[in-house]
Amino acid sequence: MIFFYHIGKYILFMRKIIKKPQKTNIFINDFFFEIEKIGINSIVIVFIISIFMGAVITLQTAYNIEQAFIPLYLVGLGTRDSMFLEFSSTIVGLILAGKVGANIASEIGTMKIREQIEALDMMGVNSESHLVFPKVLAAIITFPLLTLFSMFVGIFGGYLAVYLTNAIPVDDFIYGIHYYFIPFYITYSVIKSIIFGIIISSVSAYQSYYISGGALEVGKASTKAVVYSSILILFFNVILTQILLS
Amino acid sequence: MIELKNISKSFEDNHVLKDISLTFKKGETNLIIGQSGSGKTVLLKSILGIHEIDKGQIIYGEDVYSEMNNKEKQKIRKEIGMVFQGGALFGSSTVMQNVMFPLTMFSNFSKLEMKKQAKFCLERVNLEDADNLFPGEISGGMQKRVAIARAIALNPKYLFFDEPNSGLDPQTSIVIDNLIKDITLDFNTVTVINTHDMNSVVEIGDNIAYIHEGKKWWTGSSEELMKTENKELSEFVFATKLMRSIKKNK
Repeated sequence: MIFFYHIGKYILFMRKIIKKPQKTNIFINDFFFEIEKIGINSIVIVFIISIFMGAVITLQTAYNIEQAFIPLYLVGLGTRDSMFLEFSSTIVGLILAGKVGANIASEIGTMKIREQIEALDMMGVNSESHLVFPKVLAAIITFPLLTLFSMFVGIFGGYLAVYLTNAIPVDDFIYGIHYYFIPFYITYSVIKSIIFGIIISSVSAYQSYYISGGALEVGKASTKAVVYSSILILFFNVILTQILLS
Repeated sequence: MIELKNISKSFEDNHVLKDISLTFKKGETNLIIGQSGSGKTVLLKSILGIHEIDKGQIIYGEDVYSEMNNKEKQKIRKEIGMVFQGGALFGSSTVMQNVMFPLTMFSNFSKLEMKKQAKFCLERVNLEDADNLFPGEISGGMQKRVAIARAIALNPKYLFFDEPNSGLDPQTSIVIDNLIKDITLDFNTVTVINTHDMNSVVEIGDNIAYIHEGKKWWTGSSEELMKTENKELSEFVFATKLMRSIKKNK
């Protein structure tokens, strides 16, 4: 029963979020501020994870090809498809659930326990929309861009690994990257990242918006935000894969 | 004027407010006092509409606030200034930005006019030179004064204070009390204060309501309070030696 209670409460919460902003100029300011916080501040972590994961996928594939009749360009193809199909959207989504989700939950949770949200409500501000809508919109815009960035960096990481270790000839790797390219894989990944962006920003905000108590509750809300966002990302990954690739 | 008519509020089986009727007048400081857990914070939050009441009516002027929908309530809320216990200032904004916030949201002022109004409010609370400081850089008393400046930025009809003196030293408490009294007279607001502070009760209590076990137990002025024979109220107000000696001397 508690599950359905939260589903209903979350839907009502989302209905309050998606409202016309009370002051457009304040909304635009907040939106760009969130673009910086959610998107630009995540570039470094996405870069580090993507470059190393791209390199590791490439090396593991290269060192596990023992059969002589398996073409070496499959290493490049495997790296590309792993990055495009799964890593750049889902794994980066899980990493951002930790970074962005915890950040949103702690920010809103702290505002809640310091009565700042009540203060906004008392002034006649729609606090849900004022605080959460710019975050959700910023996540919708920045997550696909981070995903595309991760794809590019991951493949570059694979290229670097091949270039530095000579695990396979660089030309084979590059040929594999170009081989049988399916553009829809990028669309698929971008769609997933948009959904993951909505999940992370809204679920984290929901987890912290209704807390009461002190700092301990903020910590608990941050943990729940990361755990529930991650579970939902994995769940929707399966659903979206079935819908988009079947 | 704010009028409460027979309001009740429960949280599941816990009956917190029981049939309370009160009137808060314009240009006067109306105090709600009571022990911790007596229901006075729930009462204040119910008057503000943060809690929905189960029974009764809350009337702001001519408008029955408790029966309005959220959209209608928002109109009244723009006429309310609220100072929360901890100040509830936005930590990432400067003092000036905090005071300007309600103006940017709800006024049609130009940026210059907003700054002028915010400056006026900060001067009114004697904080002329704190514009560019952040809440974390100023003392608790100054934070309360910034919160008061923010509350009066839109020239409210109704002012609410939740424990305005909590965490402040006695001298700063007197400054805040006097400020509340002066602002109430200057702006001619209906001012409602939820407090534990007996000094505030004696100094600025025009109308005092004592809440005990969720019921309105006693109402009167600070002069009447000093002469009260009500057992529960006497035990609460004259719990300290200081208050007993004040009563003796009076």
